[in-house]
Amino acid sequence: MPRKKISDCHRLFFLLLLLVGGCGPSEPVVKIGFVAPLTGDQAPQGEDMLHGAQLAMEHAQAEGAAVPGYRLELLALDDQRNPTQAVAAAKRLVADRDVVAVVGHLNSSCTMPASAIYHEAGLLHVNPVSSNPQLSRQGFKNFFRACATDDLQGPAAAVFAQQALRAQRVFLLDDMTTYGRGLADEFEKKWRALGGDVLGHEGVTQGDKDFAPLLTKLKPLSPDLIFFAGMFPEGALLIKQKAEVGLPGFFMGGDGLFDPALINLATPQAAERVYVTNIGTDIRQLPSAQAFVQAYEARFGPIGAYSAYAYEATRIAVWALRTAGVKDRAAVLAAMQQFKDFPGLFGLQNFDARGDSLIRDIGIFTVKDGAFQFVTASSH
Amino acid sequence: MTGTQLFLQQLANGLTLGAIYALIALGYTMIYGVIQLINFAHGEVFMVGSYLALTLMLALTALVPWPVALLGALLGAMLGCSVLGWGIERWAYRPIRQAPRLNALITAIGLSFVLQNAIMLLYGPTDRQFPNPVPLVRWEIGGVTVTLMQVLVWGVAAALMCGLQWLVMGTKLGMAMRATAQDLKICRLLGIPVHRLIGVTFALGSALAAVGGTLFGMTYGTINFHDGYVVGLKAFTAAVLGGIGNIPGAMVGGVLLGLLEGFGAGYLSSQWKNVFAFVVLVLLLLGKPTGLLGERVADRA
Repeated sequence: MPRKKISDCHRLFFLLLLLVGGCGPSEPVVKIGFVAPLTGDQAPQGEDMLHGAQLAMEHAQAEGAAVPGYRLELLALDDQRNPTQAVAAAKRLVADRDVVAVVGHLNSSCTMPASAIYHEAGLLHVNPVSSNPQLSRQGFKNFFRACATDDLQGPAAAVFAQQALRAQRVFLLDDMTTYGRGLADEFEKKWRALGGDVLGHEGVTQGDKDFAPLLTKLKPLSPDLIFFAGMFPEGALLIKQKAEVGLPGFFMGGDGLFDPALINLATPQAAERVYVTNIGTDIRQLPSAQAFVQAYEARFGPIGAYSAYAYEATRIAVWALRTAGVKDRAAVLAAMQQFKDFPGLFGLQNFDARGDSLIRDIGIFTVKDGAFQFVTASSH
Repeated sequence: MTGTQLFLQQLANGLTLGAIYALIALGYTMIYGVIQLINFAHGEVFMVGSYLALTLMLALTALVPWPVALLGALLGAMLGCSVLGWGIERWAYRPIRQAPRLNALITAIGLSFVLQNAIMLLYGPTDRQFPNPVPLVRWEIGGVTVTLMQVLVWGVAAALMCGLQWLVMGTKLGMAMRATAQDLKICRLLGIPVHRLIGVTFALGSALAAVGGTLFGMTYGTINFHDGYVVGLKAFTAAVLGGIGNIPGAMVGGVLLGLLEGFGAGYLSSQWKNVFAFVVLVLLLLGKPTGLLGERVADRA
């Protein structure tokens, strides 16, 4: 029996320790949530976004406390480009009372279900790069987007391919995701309106490796252009196998292909003269972004396609928090009503009634000597 | 390009993928044959094989001419995966040999998570570019393009399958394996070292998966730590299609599945290729539930 008493004493002691630890003199924090694929095949792009967000947080911290008495923190979560994981991450952020705004999700298919969760919680949601137009048409007042959308990107690509590349006959491929299917449909609509021929429109499965049968089928059709709306892991294999099958014609894709990994995985020879659009103009051409580009590249190396958008979105979230001046979700969201002419990387940033950015340039790039080179930008 | 040429070209495409499926399917079928275990970790052994070959290839291509580097990478990956397969059997499955069969199945699923995450930690989560030292040589035969790489895949796969057929049908070891597959208990009573034999079966199947992994990496150019899941599932399907437990069945099943996918993407639509392949599979299994060449499964089930 004395044994049992000792063990009870121990239990009480540990319980006290825990209580003391919990009430320790830790500084109160206020957090900005961040979600992107940090593992899996799209991790390189997610990593670029994380670096952009981290740099934005450092710059914000250097400007003094956003909410007096609170330490500002970034809470980064991984969605593995998987909608189920995206919802799990969104629920975690919503449940954390220290989180007052979210910067997040790369893929439109992840942003779509997660945005409903942020909306329900009344949490400010600044989306950096998901370009599917439907996202801002759900009527969510807490949703803001820092990039151009696919109803601009698809048509811009179609116009460029017909006018600059003189392509008439296109074969469309997409990765059957919210982003891919949406972008391909926008491209197709514009292509037909301009009088071009659409030879076919097919889907490929994410994670698939063997596209030789599909590309062999295209050989007798000999399209002038293959437009692929999807991400770079499949894009790289399509480009590589297109060269192996010996299929002539141009290859073009959207912002999902705009990553140096595309060129490495496809091999530089096969990737030469591939065209890619991005959801904004070339960041290097903008005087307003020079300081950011230098700071980023000194710290993390070459800037990725999505780095600047994640930086911009994080800065906007911090601006809202600073303007509100209190750790309160409703106040942070309300502060966005005063958002006007924010001096961002791409110029003066403003949002329309849906929450979409009014900066609507689409950059067009090509691969030359194994690297992306800026060709032109179309503005709307 | 005429219709016949297109057909032959798609045949060549499908055969390449099919040969790789067949190599992996053999491991599933051999292991099922001796201990009636569906080793779901086998897909991960294939994936580990591709990473081993990647490491060896990167180290060797700078030092020696490409055929030597390729042979070195192949043999190294085979050896590495044999040890892995043997180890999996020795320390994961043998201790629970007497337990109900479902325990081993759960162990297999657990093992595949362990292997996937181990490779993710070692090599990183992103796609890795797989160096292909084989020069891009292509032949035009009657309007059909065949590359040296494709010929290499077919040649290596055919040679290994012939070798395996000889080993199983023409050697004492093979005879012991076949006997064990028929009745493990009697074999043990007769003094056949059953445990060692099962270990050898795992090692053999894993070595073939390593070859599949190497050829897969070289053909498609990128590998990822989660490749083992989808490819493993397809190879398992191929083994069932051919009749699980039957070695020539796995070869036929693998090639057939590759062809079905190739023709599905080539003549129907790439987004429906898996649906097409699996519809054919279901229809075949409805007509012949034991698989194309499977006979024994019926009396086991």
